[in-house]
Amino acid sequence: MPPSSDLMQGTLDMLILKSIALKPQHGWAIAQRIQQISKDVLQIGQGSLYPALHRLEYKGWIRAQWGASENNRRARYYALTAAGRKQLEAELENWERLTGAVNLVLKASY
Amino acid sequence: MLNDLRYRLHALSRRDRMEAELDEELRFHVECETEKYCRAGMSEEEAQRRARIAFGGHEQMKEDVREARGTSLLEQSWQDARYALRKLRKNPGFTTVAALTLALGIGASTAAFSLADAVLLQPLPYSHASRDVMVWGETPVGSFYGNVDLPFAAQEYQLYAGMQQAFQTIGVFRKKSFNLTGTSEPELQEGVEVSAGFFPALGGSAQLGRTITAQDDQAGHEHVAVLSHWLWQTHYHGDRNIVGKTVDVNGSPTTIIGVMPVSFVFPDGAGMPAGLDLPRRTAMWVPIALPPGAVGSNDMGLIGELKAGVTWAQLKQDLARYDARFIEQHPRAKGYWSRAVPLTEQAVTDTRLPLLLWMGAVLVVLLIACSNVAGLTLNRSVGRRKEFTLRGALGARRTRLMRQLTIENLLLASLGGGFGLLVAEASLWTVKRFGPATLPRLEDASLNFAVAAFALVITLGTGLFFGLTPAVGATRMNLAEALREGGQRSIGSVTAPRIRNGLLVLQVALAMVLVVAAGLLLRTFYDMLHTDAGFDATHVVTFELPLPASAQYADTNRMAQVYSEVLDRLAEIPAVQSAGFASVVPMGGETDSTIIRIPGRPATRQADAPGANYQFVSPGFFPAMGTPLEEGRDVAASDVLTAQRVTIVNRTMANLYWPGQDPVGKQVGVGMVKIPLRTIIGVVADTKQASLREPPSPEMYVPFTQNEIRTWPSMQTMQYALRLRGDDSGIAAAVRRAVDAVDPDLPVARFTRLRMMVDASMTADRFALLLLSGFGLLALVLAAVGMYGVIAYSVLQRTAEIGVRMALGAGRGDILGMVLRQGGVLALTGIGIGLLAAWMTTRLMTSFLYGVKAADPATFAAVAVLLLAVALAACIVPARRAMGVDPMVALRTE
Repeated sequence: MPPSSDLMQGTLDMLILKSIALKPQHGWAIAQRIQQISKDVLQIGQGSLYPALHRLEYKGWIRAQWGASENNRRARYYALTAAGRKQLEAELENWERLTGAVNLVLKASY
Repeated sequence: MLNDLRYRLHALSRRDRMEAELDEELRFHVECETEKYCRAGMSEEEAQRRARIAFGGHEQMKEDVREARGTSLLEQSWQDARYALRKLRKNPGFTTVAALTLALGIGASTAAFSLADAVLLQPLPYSHASRDVMVWGETPVGSFYGNVDLPFAAQEYQLYAGMQQAFQTIGVFRKKSFNLTGTSEPELQEGVEVSAGFFPALGGSAQLGRTITAQDDQAGHEHVAVLSHWLWQTHYHGDRNIVGKTVDVNGSPTTIIGVMPVSFVFPDGAGMPAGLDLPRRTAMWVPIALPPGAVGSNDMGLIGELKAGVTWAQLKQDLARYDARFIEQHPRAKGYWSRAVPLTEQAVTDTRLPLLLWMGAVLVVLLIACSNVAGLTLNRSVGRRKEFTLRGALGARRTRLMRQLTIENLLLASLGGGFGLLVAEASLWTVKRFGPATLPRLEDASLNFAVAAFALVITLGTGLFFGLTPAVGATRMNLAEALREGGQRSIGSVTAPRIRNGLLVLQVALAMVLVVAAGLLLRTFYDMLHTDAGFDATHVVTFELPLPASAQYADTNRMAQVYSEVLDRLAEIPAVQSAGFASVVPMGGETDSTIIRIPGRPATRQADAPGANYQFVSPGFFPAMGTPLEEGRDVAASDVLTAQRVTIVNRTMANLYWPGQDPVGKQVGVGMVKIPLRTIIGVVADTKQASLREPPSPEMYVPFTQNEIRTWPSMQTMQYALRLRGDDSGIAAAVRRAVDAVDPDLPVARFTRLRMMVDASMTADRFALLLLSGFGLLALVLAAVGMYGVIAYSVLQRTAEIGVRMALGAGRGDILGMVLRQGGVLALTGIGIGLLAAWMTTRLMTSFLYGVKAADPATFAAVAVLLLAVALAACIVPARRAMGVDPMVALRTE
C-alpha cells in the first residue's frame, strides 16, 4: 500500500533515526511507532522502510543486531551509532531552519 | 570510503547469510502485521492475506534492499552469467553454431596475426640488424637489367671497401657449393663464402668456437669453416667437440672453427633479389679470401653495419661518391647507381604484401562470421521479447535486461574465443606443415602473449559488436503492445528486421569479394598449369653433378671431359631414351646472363645494350627435355674449340633481335670485344626457366665443348636431364653406378623427377588457391545460411499476410515470386556492393595473377551469377513453406 502522504527520502531517514534515538527497535516496530505518533498520517510503506533501513546501515548511521522480540521470536533490532546521532542532530537542525523559514513566508501578510 | 569498500566486500562474502537474514527479517514483519489484523478481529486466513497484500512484492523489495547495500552490480552480473550459461546449455543448436562460427573467424585471424607478427613485427635475430644495410647496383630503367637489383662484383666491392666512409664494417657473401666427402657417400651442401666483415656486420657470434676473422680471410688460411646449427645437428650429431676437427670439403681438409646458434641463418634467401644466387638454406660459412685486384661477375651480396650517427642522406652521398668513381674507371657504365636497403626491409620484401593481403582476407572472414552470429543472436532475442516484457512487468529495469543480454553475448564470444585458440593452433600447424617454404621465419610463428592479447581484443570486440545491436533492439519494450499481440507475430519494432537485412547484405558483399579473389586465383592456377612450358616433363628425371673444387678438376677441359664421360655412360643405360645436360635445366634455378653485341648494330652505352641469358648445353639436351628445335640444328660433339664457334638461340631472342628475319647464320657474341662472335646454327622453342609464371627471356645456348672464356659461366656444376622410356624405379641406382664408373667421389645431387620440380615451383600458388577457396566457400556457406534465416523468419512473420493474399486470389506461383523477390532484392543489393568492393580490392592482387587481369569481367560476372543462384537456392525451402500455407489455417491463427 503506498504511503498516504509522500515522504522524501531524506525525511524518512530522519524519522527513522529519531524513532530509534531513545532505544533500539526492530523494523516493524519503527513503522508502527511512526504511524501511531503521527496519528496515522504518516504510513511508511514496507517497500520504502527496509531499503531505507539497509541504506542507513550501509552509511554507518545505524547498527543492526539480532535479538528476541516481545513474543520471543528472532527479530533484527536497529540502534543509533555515534555517527548516526550526530547526523540526526544535523538533520533536525536543518529541518527546523527549513520549516521556520517556510512558516515565516506563509504567515507574512502581503 | 574505505568503510564503504569494506562493507561491500563484507556483503559479498557473506551474501548467502545476509540473504537468509533478510528473508527472516521480512517474514517477521509479515507475522507481526498478521497478528495486528488478528487482534483487530479478522480470521487467521484473512489476516494473513491482508498482511501479505499490505506488504507488497517480496522480490521487488529484496531487490531494492540489495541495491541499497551497493553490491547489486556484481551480484547481478554473477547471476546474469549463471543464467546465461543455463540458457546457452538449453539451446545447444544455437550455441554450437554460434560458437563454431566465432571460433573459425577468431582462430583464423589469430593465426594470420601470429604469422604477421613473426615475419613482420618481430626483430631479426642478428644483433646489429637495426643498423645493417645491404647495397645493390641499379641500371637505368629500360636497360636489359632495368628494375632489378644487381649484386656486386669483386672489383666493385674492393673499390667501395677502399673508399667508403659510412660503414663501420662491410662484408660480402657469395654462394658456394660444398662437396663433403670422406663419409659414406659424397654429399653436396650449399652455403656461402664470406669476407672478414660479414659476421661483425651482422653481429653474429658463434655458439661454439668462433666466427671468421680477417686472419682467416686470406690465401693460405682459408681452409676453415663455420657450421650452421642444423648441419651440426644432422651431420655431426651435435658433437660438442667438433671445433678443431677436420673434415673433407671440396677435396681439401678443412678445420671446423665454430658453430652458429640455431637462430643465425643468414643468408636464407629471404627477400633477396633474383639476380643474387643464394642457397635456400646455408649449411656453412667459409672465408672468400679475395685476392687484391680480384675481378669477377656480379655475384656477391654486400652487407654492412652503419657507423653510429650516420644518417641515410650521408649514406646516399657516400654511395654517390663511389658511383662517380666507378663510372670514371668504367665510362661505359654511365647511368649505373647504387641503392641501399635496410636489412629489416630487405628480409620482408617478398612477404609484406602477401601477408597483409592474407590478413585482409582473414579479417573479411571474421567480419562475415560476426555478422552471421549477430543475425543469429538478433533472431533469438527478438523471439524472446515476450520473456523480456514479462520480466519487465515483474519489475526488471531495462538496463538490467540489456546488461544481461550483453553478458550472455560476451560469454558466447568467450566460448568462441576459447575454441578459436584451438583453431588458431591447428591452422598454424597446417601452414607450417603444408605451406610454401618461401615464408621466412615461419617456424617462429607461435601463439605468444601479444597474439593472445590480440585474440582477446578481437573476441571482446566481436562480442560487443553483435551483442549490443540486438540488445538495444530487443529490449525496447512496450508492455501492453507485446502482451496484446500473442503468438509468434510479436513484430513490434521495425529496426530488428532492418538490422538483420543490413547484416545479410554485408555478408553477401563480403562473400562476393572473397569468392571473386578465389576465382581469379583459380584462373591463374589453371592458366599456369596449361601454359606451354616449352618442355615435356613426362618421364624426365634431372639431377645435378657438381665437381669438387680440387686440383683434379681445375681445368675446364678436364671438367668438360668428365661431364661428357658421364653423359656417355648415362646414354648406355637401357631405360634411358635420351640424355643431355645444361648449366641449368628449366625449373632448376637462375642462369647466368650477359650483355651481348650484334655486329652491324650501332654501339650503345652499356646501360642500353642488348642482353641475353647465357649457358652451356650438351648435344641431346633439347631432345631429352622435349624442347622442339624449330630451325637449324642441335649442337653436336663436333662443335669444339678448333671448329667454328656456334650458338643456339631461343624464339624470344630471335624475335627480339632479328625480327622478321631468319637468325640462322647471323652472328652474335658476348659484350667483350676480344671474345670472337658466334654463328647461330639453330632456334629452339621458348622454355619457362624459373617458374611457369614468368615470360621467357632471350636465351643463348653454347656447346659445353666451346668454353673459350673459361672463367665464366662456371662449369663447376651441370644439371643433367634424362628422358626415360617408361617409369623406372631403379633409375637412381643406375645413375649412381654410371657416375661411380667415372669417379666415385662425385656426388649426385637433387635427383628428382622434372614433374616434381614443376609442381614445387607452384607450391605457393597452390597453397594460396586452396586457402582462398576455402575462405570463399566458407563465406558462401555462411551467406547462404544467413539468407535462409532471414527469409525463413520473414515468411513466418508474414504467414497471416500470405493467408490473406491467397484468400484474395493469389496463386502459389505468386507467393513463390513474392518470397524469391524479397530474397532476390537483398541478394542483388549485396552483390552490387560486393562487385564494387571486389573491383576496388582485387587490384591489390595483381602481382599474384597470371593470365588474367584483376578486374576480369568474366570472373566477376560468373561469381555474381553464382552468388545469386546460391541466394535463391537458400530461399527455396522457406518459399515452399510459404506456398504450402493453408489460407484458412493462417487466417484463423490471426
